[in-house]
Amino acid sequence: MAVIEVKNLGKNFNVKLKEKGFMGSMKSVFQPSYKRVEAVKGVSFEVQEGEVIAFIGPNGAGKSTTIKMLTGILYPDGGNVKVLGIDPTRQRKKLAYEIGTVFGQKEQLWMHLTPYDNFKFFGAIYDIPAEEVEKRISELNDIFELQDIMNTPVRNLSLGQRIRCEIAASLIHRPKILFLDEPTIGLDPVVKDNIRKLIKKMNKEYKTTIFLTSHDVSDIEKLCKRVIIVNKGTLVLDDTMENLKYHYLNKKIVELKLAQKIDFSNVDGIKVLKQKDKSIKLEVDLKKKSLSDVWKLINPDDIIDVNISNTPLEEIISDIYKGG
Amino acid sequence: MRKYLFIFKAELMSALQYVANILLHMITYFIVIIIFFYLWNYIYDDPTQLINGYSKTQMIWYVIITEIIWNIVSGRKLCRRICDDVKSGNIAYNMNKPYNYIGYILSSHLGEGIIKSLIYITFGIILGRVFLGAFPTLNVLSIVLVILSLILAVVIDTLFIIFIGLFSLYIEDANPLFWLYSKLILILGTMFPIEFFPEVIQKITTVSPIYVICYGPAKLFVDFNLNNALNIIAFQFIYLAVAFGLCGVLYAKGVKKLNVNGG
Repeated sequence: MAVIEVKNLGKNFNVKLKEKGFMGSMKSVFQPSYKRVEAVKGVSFEVQEGEVIAFIGPNGAGKSTTIKMLTGILYPDGGNVKVLGIDPTRQRKKLAYEIGTVFGQKEQLWMHLTPYDNFKFFGAIYDIPAEEVEKRISELNDIFELQDIMNTPVRNLSLGQRIRCEIAASLIHRPKILFLDEPTIGLDPVVKDNIRKLIKKMNKEYKTTIFLTSHDVSDIEKLCKRVIIVNKGTLVLDDTMENLKYHYLNKKIVELKLAQKIDFSNVDGIKVLKQKDKSIKLEVDLKKKSLSDVWKLINPDDIIDVNISNTPLEEIISDIYKGG
Repeated sequence: MRKYLFIFKAELMSALQYVANILLHMITYFIVIIIFFYLWNYIYDDPTQLINGYSKTQMIWYVIITEIIWNIVSGRKLCRRICDDVKSGNIAYNMNKPYNYIGYILSSHLGEGIIKSLIYITFGIILGRVFLGAFPTLNVLSIVLVILSLILAVVIDTLFIIFIGLFSLYIEDANPLFWLYSKLILILGTMFPIEFFPEVIQKITTVSPIYVICYGPAKLFVDFNLNNALNIIAFQFIYLAVAFGLCGVLYAKGVKKLNVNGG
């Protein structure tokens, strides 16, 4: 069942233009001029119940604008949006009971209150009866292992502890969809990993649909089965993680340490990424050349060391961003 | 309603962390009252003299009360908060919660104001007693009505400032509008009762929010009259409804123009 349906979604902004310097500022007072920016252009996609989806793109791609339209914060200029069958702009309050949001760069918790008081607060905001709130707090306490920090004011928590509490607080009303915007930003690798495990656990235990935006490729790789990439306001890719890897991982990185220097510069399907004396780093396009073709170009006795790896996902995504 | 009480309570709990800040603000309040004390002492030749119907003691008590309202509301801070919320896009994080933004801002600001109210009212009454030695004659009913009128004044003033702050959804910065509003309130009702102004201004002020925000409750405190009290409180309820309505309309229309970029 589709929980998010987006058809030809569009959003434009009027951005005020100002010429440089003092005269430019004066002119903008008396003769303001505006530029129309198409932030989102005809984006369409669907998200199924229980999916963990990555919605990514470079800065200014239109992903935050899209999320804000999905959550009813911004009014679309064109197209249709239905989240859980609800029109977000017309029934924003109704939708708010069904979705949760976590913004890694913005704290939603009350900093002077303890996580426990915050959970009670959010319980009241979502009209959950007091006894039920207590039950859910104890449940979240177990899942997110919050017992040691439950009575510490949020302002005294580390960033990792705070994000754990942010996610727990966003689940108090058991949302059907959780929008996570950069949930692991600024966290160290160990804490990042913990947060990812929690997100997975929550998806499994509560069947929550996760809509994730992140610039951290590991978040996407470890959590999501499907990726949507937007760039310059348009959707450039909507595919499963498996297909993304299959179609785009047709390049291998081959690092060789040889006894003799070999020139690969004019070989079709091979790109020399780096060469220093007898050490060379190559990118082999498997559509044009197989690895066995590469070995045929080298005398096996000359191979001192070899390392073969996939193109990092980060590079693949970066290539897609650049339209590669 | 329960959720707004929780917002009120959460802000009250947070405000308890800032009691020291409130106490520091009392210094400014103390200086203002002292200035007015000496000013009116200089203007009045003798304690029995009446100027525009006010004795010296009544005049100073009037300023003590209006300054209490002014400080509890802390309008500049509230207006700046709304403008910053709109400019920075923070308003977005409130919009996807199941509460009304106006209700949220109102209850959170009043939650913060409750500690201030207790401190300012206590300090103001002590100050008045020490400097003036006299307390206006009030019975239980009049005390209840004055307190009700004070609470309504604070809520109405807060709503009007929210209304002004919401203009930042339409124009880039609503702070200049607040500056105009605050100066009008300061001169026409806070520092001087409306009887001190020409008749034309008095007539305009009587039908303006100033009548219910600062003049009304202070007048009741210094010169209580049941008819006046009922009249002022009735007007306050009308203004309460008007202020809520204005905020609702402005927000509903303005939110469609909201332009939140980035992050």
